[in-house]
Amino acid sequence: MKKIEAIIQPFKMEPVKEALKNIGIDGMTITEVRGHGRQKGHKEVYRGQEYNVDLLPKIKVELVVTDARLNEILTALTTAARTGKIGDGKVFVYDVAEAIRIRNDDRGEAAL
Amino acid sequence: MMTGEKLRFDPIGALEERTSAVDAQVLNAWQRHLGLSVPTGAAILAVGGYGRRQLFPYSDIDLLLLFANDKAAAAHKEEISSFLQQLWDAGLRVSQSVRTPAECSELHEGNIELSVSLLDQRYLAGDAGVYGTMLTKLPRFVHGQRDALVRHLSRMTRERHARFNGTFHHLEPNIKEAPGGLRDLQLVSWLAQIAGTTPQAFSGLVHLPELDDARRTLFALRGYLHQQAKRDSNILTFDAQEWIAELMGVEETAVMRGYFRSARAVHRSALGALEGEEARASSLFAQFRDRRSRVSNADFTVARERIYLRAPQQLAAEPELALRLLQFVGRHGMRLSLEAEQKMATQLAAVRQYFAAPRPVWPALVEALSLPHTPLALRVAYETGVLTALFPELERIDCLVIRDFFHRYTVDEHTLVAIQTLVELRGAQAPPASAFAGLVSEIEQPGLLVFALLFHDVGKGSPQEGHIDASLRLAERAMERIQMPAAERDSVRFLIRHHLDMSVTMNGRDPFDPSTARDFAHAVGTVENLKRLTLITYADISAVNPAVMTAWRAEQLWQLYLLTYNELTRELESERIEEADSPEQTAFLEGFPKRYLRTHSEADVTRHMQLEQEGRPRGVAVALEKSGSVYRLTLVTGDRPFLFATVAGTLSSFGMNILKAEAFANRRGTVLDTFSFADPLRTLELNPTEMDRLKATIERAVLGRADVKQLLRSRPRGAPPSRKARIEPTVHFDDQASQSATLIQVVAEDRPGLLYDIASTISSRGASIDVVLIDTEAHKAIDVFYVTAEGRKLTPEKQGELQKALLAVLRG
Repeated sequence: MKKIEAIIQPFKMEPVKEALKNIGIDGMTITEVRGHGRQKGHKEVYRGQEYNVDLLPKIKVELVVTDARLNEILTALTTAARTGKIGDGKVFVYDVAEAIRIRNDDRGEAAL
Repeated sequence: MMTGEKLRFDPIGALEERTSAVDAQVLNAWQRHLGLSVPTGAAILAVGGYGRRQLFPYSDIDLLLLFANDKAAAAHKEEISSFLQQLWDAGLRVSQSVRTPAECSELHEGNIELSVSLLDQRYLAGDAGVYGTMLTKLPRFVHGQRDALVRHLSRMTRERHARFNGTFHHLEPNIKEAPGGLRDLQLVSWLAQIAGTTPQAFSGLVHLPELDDARRTLFALRGYLHQQAKRDSNILTFDAQEWIAELMGVEETAVMRGYFRSARAVHRSALGALEGEEARASSLFAQFRDRRSRVSNADFTVARERIYLRAPQQLAAEPELALRLLQFVGRHGMRLSLEAEQKMATQLAAVRQYFAAPRPVWPALVEALSLPHTPLALRVAYETGVLTALFPELERIDCLVIRDFFHRYTVDEHTLVAIQTLVELRGAQAPPASAFAGLVSEIEQPGLLVFALLFHDVGKGSPQEGHIDASLRLAERAMERIQMPAAERDSVRFLIRHHLDMSVTMNGRDPFDPSTARDFAHAVGTVENLKRLTLITYADISAVNPAVMTAWRAEQLWQLYLLTYNELTRELESERIEEADSPEQTAFLEGFPKRYLRTHSEADVTRHMQLEQEGRPRGVAVALEKSGSVYRLTLVTGDRPFLFATVAGTLSSFGMNILKAEAFANRRGTVLDTFSFADPLRTLELNPTEMDRLKATIERAVLGRADVKQLLRSRPRGAPPSRKARIEPTVHFDDQASQSATLIQVVAEDRPGLLYDIASTISSRGASIDVVLIDTEAHKAIDVFYVTAEGRKLTPEKQGELQKALLAVLRG
């Protein structure tokens, strides 16, 4: 089992959800986060005052998937989230040691 | 609503049936275990819901075993035990208490519930003499302890309501405990019973006909829930809503609409009854003194923070009182007394009939919608039916449920919460709301936004039509009826039509792609529209549920506002009008920035062209008009040095406070300046001839026949604001914003004559002012000038020189 953690642009949340739904994935955790990578912040002047926008709003999508479906899901996710410009975000993949469904104690992939 | 054909189970009939069945079981057990062994000195009573003959399936059975004295009770411990055992064995969940008549008529601080439960007592069997003893003591006790009982009920109720955030708006409500639930229904009836009890006579169950519908609905829902769950389960879960709807043969939304309507009626009634009792408990003297409350007027009196009608039938005789009520509540922030609510409820038909005809209602309405307590005024008017009498369109969203994951509220509640959010934004100190607070004080007619919010979702009640189209159609009807002026109607249409656009842009487009702000700027057209739409969006999103407007989301909205604002104030120079509808129009408009067309209607353009015609012989024409509390001056003339400074200075010399100003120049050298200003000393209002004198003076000053410096000298300068309020002036030059001009942004403490000082400083350095955007935010003036010298951007040397000169003027 693998855990996918993707940091994407907020306006790409709907396309990503849609793309994952199309391949049968509708369970995920979504968090509103702030951050910047190479995109850095930028500066806006509003009424004589400078506004530094250094931490940009981003969306974090987390989901745990079976090893067999990992590549297919990653392709769907990155294709949907891509604009080709700086700031598109990143995807991290981790190994998952165990999954347990609390309700009935299902273990492993059965719990996903 | 509980009469679907598919009904297999009659929840109301079931109450009576179960009560009778349990009565039989209790009597049987009583006869077997206690009736024979204790022929005198003991009786059995039903209390609580069982006492009221409202026994829901699987509900507990509350029994009171009444013994003449403690000794008798102790002597029959075993029989009591066997009696209860038989009932438990029969599957009844019994809760019992054993008391003497004396204990029943004492107040035990720790167990006031017992005293309250006696209000519902019903004799079942046993020694009628013991029961009679208790019954003779009960009225004196209830009457004597009225305040203590009310205090207890009040505290319990308020604590219970607090557990549910004080609202009946829950997607999966607990129909017993939540505000507006069965406990509240019970509370209303207990309070009526307590109030109706005299020392001599105990008031039996009080019938409350106005709550009949609500009672039937809540009873039926609880009956279904218990029957299905086979236990005392009172949460109307999504699943339960589904199968109850199926049982009744209606939509799920209809089940919830029925529930919310009932809960609202019960909640209001419970709060009204509680407040009435709490108010009664205070001294007569306080009431007398309070009646003379300062805010009372010809229509309303105020006592104990509640509003009373002076004449009971006033509303029917004079339906316009409804508008004055909105204003009164909006100004003073007080609710109606129960008495006034009840009186008004009987007169609503007259109000509805009166306002069904077209009438010039807008001036009074917009005033009511712009007050500090407008949200409460609308809530009070909505709850009493006055608002729907004024605007029957709102009935379509009455308790309308939107079933999705995010919406916490029914559509009507969402609307009221959105309006509340908007009005409360004004005072917001903490981020993220504080960023938007400034916008509220900058917009011209906050009442217009409230009106737009009131109608933005009415179309949700017409699902066969798109929600925005339906909202527009219904708003149109209402605006026609209240004779709203054309310009305001345009604004409302714009706001309703586009109320989702910012959310859609925020969620669907890359904010840092330049085309996002550019496209959105074109869609909104003006800074004023952008500010209004930003506020509507903030309020609308916040009112979906209390958790949805996170700092994160507010930041996204603010970012879109910021980028679009900058786009709107900077792109204007680069887009020029090249061609118009007719050759005459083209000649007039050619060279004006495109923004001119976005900020002016077709009628404005025609008027401006006429003004230019009129001004030809004299070389200048001035138009002056009043719109709400703001005056607008339009001036057309040939371009000349110091023109803008001259007009600004003349207005200041009359004591006028300039709020906004714009200057446009066309290709053939005609200049069109518009100024919006306030008249803080009401000079123009109180002296009608001053309007003409102002116009004439401006014409003379423009033609060089009056000296502005001289005019300004005769006007005393206001005292400078306190040190604390001082704003350090900034002057910012930008060569990138426009293709042909240098942009100068000045932020400074606002004061009379400021605009004149800035404009004349710029002009005196040989620069010409092409476009001006003036804005004020409380004491802060934010002025943007597009300036050229000899047709080109300013050189760096010239910028440095001008900056020094401007700062010197600004620092005084």
